[in-house]
Amino acid sequence: MELLEPEILLQLLIGGLLAGALYALLACGLNLIFGVMRVINLAHAELMLIGAFGAYVLFHIFGLHPLASLLIVVPAIFFVGYYLQRFLIERVVGRPMLTSLLATYGLSIILINLGLLLFSADFKSIPALQGSFLIDELAVSKPRATAGLISLLLTVGVYQFLERTRLGKAIRAVSEHAQVAAICGIDVRQIRMLTFGMAAAMAGAAGVMLSVIYSFWPGSGVDFIQKCFAIIIIGGMGNFVGAFYGGILLGVVEAFVGGFISTQWAEAAAYLLLVTVLLIRPTGLKGVARA
Amino acid sequence: MVPAAPSGRLKEEIIMKRRLSLSVLFSLILAVIIFPAVTQAKDIVVGTSVALTGKYARTGQEQLQGFQMWVDEVNARGGLLGRKVKLVHYDDESKPETGAKLYEKLITDDKVDLLIGPYSSDVTMAASTVAEKYHFPMVSSGASATEIWERGYKNTFGLYTLAETYMDSILEFGKSKGLKKIALIYENTAFPRGVAAGVKDKAKKLGMQVVFEEEYGKASTDFSSMIIKIKSRKPDMVIGGSYLPDSTAFMRQAKENRLFAKIFAFAVGPGLPDFGQNLGLDAEGVMGNTQWEPTLKLPGVKEFAEKYNQKYGHEPGYHAGGGYGTGQVLEAAVKKAGSTDPDKVRAALFALDIVTTFGRFKVDATGKQIGKPAYAVQWLAGERHIVLPVEAATAKAAYPFKDWGKR
Amino acid sequence: MNNYRIGLWIGVALVALASLAPLGLNDYQQSFLLQVFLVIALAQAWNLISGMTGYVSFGHAAFFGVGAYASALLLTWGFPWWLAVLKSAGIAALLAVPLGFLTLRLRGPYFAIAMLGLNEVGRIVATLWVSVTHGGTGLTLSPELLPSLDVKYFTMFGLALGATLLVAWIHRSRFGLELRAIREDEEAAEMVGVNTTLNKVIAFVLSALIPGAVGAVYVMYTSYINPSSAFEHARNIEMIVVVLFGGSGTVWGPIIGAGTVMVLREMLWAQFPAAHLAALGVLLLVVVLYLPGGLVSILRDRQRSRPDARSGESP
Repeated sequence: MELLEPEILLQLLIGGLLAGALYALLACGLNLIFGVMRVINLAHAELMLIGAFGAYVLFHIFGLHPLASLLIVVPAIFFVGYYLQRFLIERVVGRPMLTSLLATYGLSIILINLGLLLFSADFKSIPALQGSFLIDELAVSKPRATAGLISLLLTVGVYQFLERTRLGKAIRAVSEHAQVAAICGIDVRQIRMLTFGMAAAMAGAAGVMLSVIYSFWPGSGVDFIQKCFAIIIIGGMGNFVGAFYGGILLGVVEAFVGGFISTQWAEAAAYLLLVTVLLIRPTGLKGVARA
Repeated sequence: MVPAAPSGRLKEEIIMKRRLSLSVLFSLILAVIIFPAVTQAKDIVVGTSVALTGKYARTGQEQLQGFQMWVDEVNARGGLLGRKVKLVHYDDESKPETGAKLYEKLITDDKVDLLIGPYSSDVTMAASTVAEKYHFPMVSSGASATEIWERGYKNTFGLYTLAETYMDSILEFGKSKGLKKIALIYENTAFPRGVAAGVKDKAKKLGMQVVFEEEYGKASTDFSSMIIKIKSRKPDMVIGGSYLPDSTAFMRQAKENRLFAKIFAFAVGPGLPDFGQNLGLDAEGVMGNTQWEPTLKLPGVKEFAEKYNQKYGHEPGYHAGGGYGTGQVLEAAVKKAGSTDPDKVRAALFALDIVTTFGRFKVDATGKQIGKPAYAVQWLAGERHIVLPVEAATAKAAYPFKDWGKR
Repeated sequence: MNNYRIGLWIGVALVALASLAPLGLNDYQQSFLLQVFLVIALAQAWNLISGMTGYVSFGHAAFFGVGAYASALLLTWGFPWWLAVLKSAGIAALLAVPLGFLTLRLRGPYFAIAMLGLNEVGRIVATLWVSVTHGGTGLTLSPELLPSLDVKYFTMFGLALGATLLVAWIHRSRFGLELRAIREDEEAAEMVGVNTTLNKVIAFVLSALIPGAVGAVYVMYTSYINPSSAFEHARNIEMIVVVLFGGSGTVWGPIIGAGTVMVLREMLWAQFPAAHLAALGVLLLVVVLYLPGGLVSILRDRQRSRPDARSGESP
């Protein structure tokens, strides 16, 4: 079968890894929030779309290249997240799961529909990065390679930040045990706001990356959030590194299922993976027992 | 209920009163909805639903603007049968089930006099069932899947050339260039499947071979794995049963993955100005279908296109042309029937054979369009030109599709 | 006991009103009430599993979709409508038995997300099993296969009423008590001898039976079904919002919630599609933040300090 030619396998693998890096950036942020606050942020994909539309507006009004707009969009969304936490999410931290799910779901509905009012339901795209890099016979998509690599860099950067800096350690401490962290003199509320801001910024960056690869509209988030669910379940809820591997895995699986079966099955892969993992290992592959 | 907390008699009374006031409120609210809506008897009310949100939003909106232009004009001419025409429209969210619900509302609640169909074959599939249930004739502007007319219905009148014939002229063109291998991709809904069925049928007749075939879901935006596979089959022609977002995304990713073929042809997408705007130079040479172009030599096309451009700030695509033409068909049918009585309008529609701004309108005994030809377009130097059939062409077809590396 | 009597009288009045309503309504208004019943029935089903046991399902529309598809197919194969409804409900319930055993092992967010995943799996099956479901094109039912609007109206009404009575009965039964015990503390419940697994699965199956039947009638009403309309995520959310808005874990909550949400939607829906959903989002936020017990909690005796609706995962 021609599909087994190494060149095709390599192309599918590269495509999958690049897409996976983007998923990972998004899902790591989601898991960071869950780890620190025990809140599943259903509006995470909408934060991503704020990033995408931000890049779109900057491109079409000021002619700013999406990669340059990262420098504006990411800090802006950090503050959006910071204040969202302060005025909304903070109120549902520590409440039953359903409460926070519904609060963030309400937020997501509001954001989607504001987006529809502002941008209509047309698909938007940014024709900034196009075409491919040719490595010998191998064509690698320029927008995907760029988006994948930047996503990877950002995720690794955030990980290093969490591992090495004082602030990062404080975040991890709150994630491990909020009360103990508070006793040790950490301002838990402040940490939560910083965490949500940081996760939002990651989502925003993912949005800018998304905007150079795909066309999008205000309702595009649904697919992504559901894929993120699959990823964080596979990687273990609240586990940053797990979400990273989960994201990469999903990207690769989707690429290969798309290549070997069909695109429709690739779209199903996330859910089939999700249900299978849950049924075999109820706490995920790298699961932590608490939740 | 959970065990009642200890409470005095007084408290219970208060609770009871609260509950009573609630139930009163509840029944009041019910009464408000149940109270029948008042409609003005004098106007001729034309009802429709179009997609204003969701996947078909862009095309749905064009169609609606076409209807509205017709309504404005017919009113400026003094109305229909001496009555003013009023358009009632809703947003079906590109969803068939919402469409069905809306047509139920239009017929039974708004009590419209005339019905125009929604945009897209799959919403029409659902809406036409409702129209059939109430024996209400519906002129369907934005649907072309043959399946719609194969259910024995008597109330759905199509305007569009059928999906199955969309790619015929392009396939014949490919055949004349000696092409053999076709890669066929399509969305998994009624219209794209119709296009695909037509392609397979025609390819067989022409002795061409479909070397790759795959369906994709309605929300698909990522075709890269599919493209990598197509590449390995080395097709001469890539044909898509698609709408605007998917055809745009596919071409973009085809470039990224250096998929090459002598002809790229898609349904719907390339027929719209947005295709060229979104893809820029990458649209160059892509072929597509159109039901109608503002450059066609038909009565009133030029005037319509100019007025439309003035009013909405862009040139009309075929969905706008179709919307406008639908209005003209309704107008002719009502005039012929001499009333808006559903039975008379239905009979008139069956008998009608006219040429509108959109083209010829003539249906067979099932209401299926048989009078209107299909046109093929191609993007040439940043503009959309009719290239097939040769009689209507505004430019000569460019062949073959230029390699990505040589652009 | 006075509370019950008042509730009973309001209930009887509503039932009488609903039975007589078709006499004075046009088709569209009758259809509107049919949809209110639909939402009430679905909300009660969700209430039954999530409101009572605290297992929050984010994918109960899966059973609705199964019922809808089963019914559409049965009708095209020539079964009478009532048999199609019964069989569809049966199929949904039968499917719920193994699924219940598998998913109810999961707790909190894991259960919620697993259910969401199941709903998506349902949609995928409907999309990819083209030979039976026609995939994304969906199934259209020709008008002569469908019962009259009155039949559909009263069937849906019966389902809403039946679901409500079921919830009311469970509420007062020992079974209901055991379910609430599971919600408060599953381990403790087990320790005092409650067969938690069996109880949960029974509640789950009952709560799948209702959407199965509702979906079956729904498809007769729209005469059309496709994968995304059968397994629509918005339907999951609607059930949850309606129950929470009215008051989770109570008998009247879903009814009050359904009435309010549907009226609001009807007023906004057709004219302002984006605004209607945004309004739903705001409503959701307000309820979650300021009214965790739902509308019912305003009406209830204020002496009870804690709201009854604590449907979340056990910590």
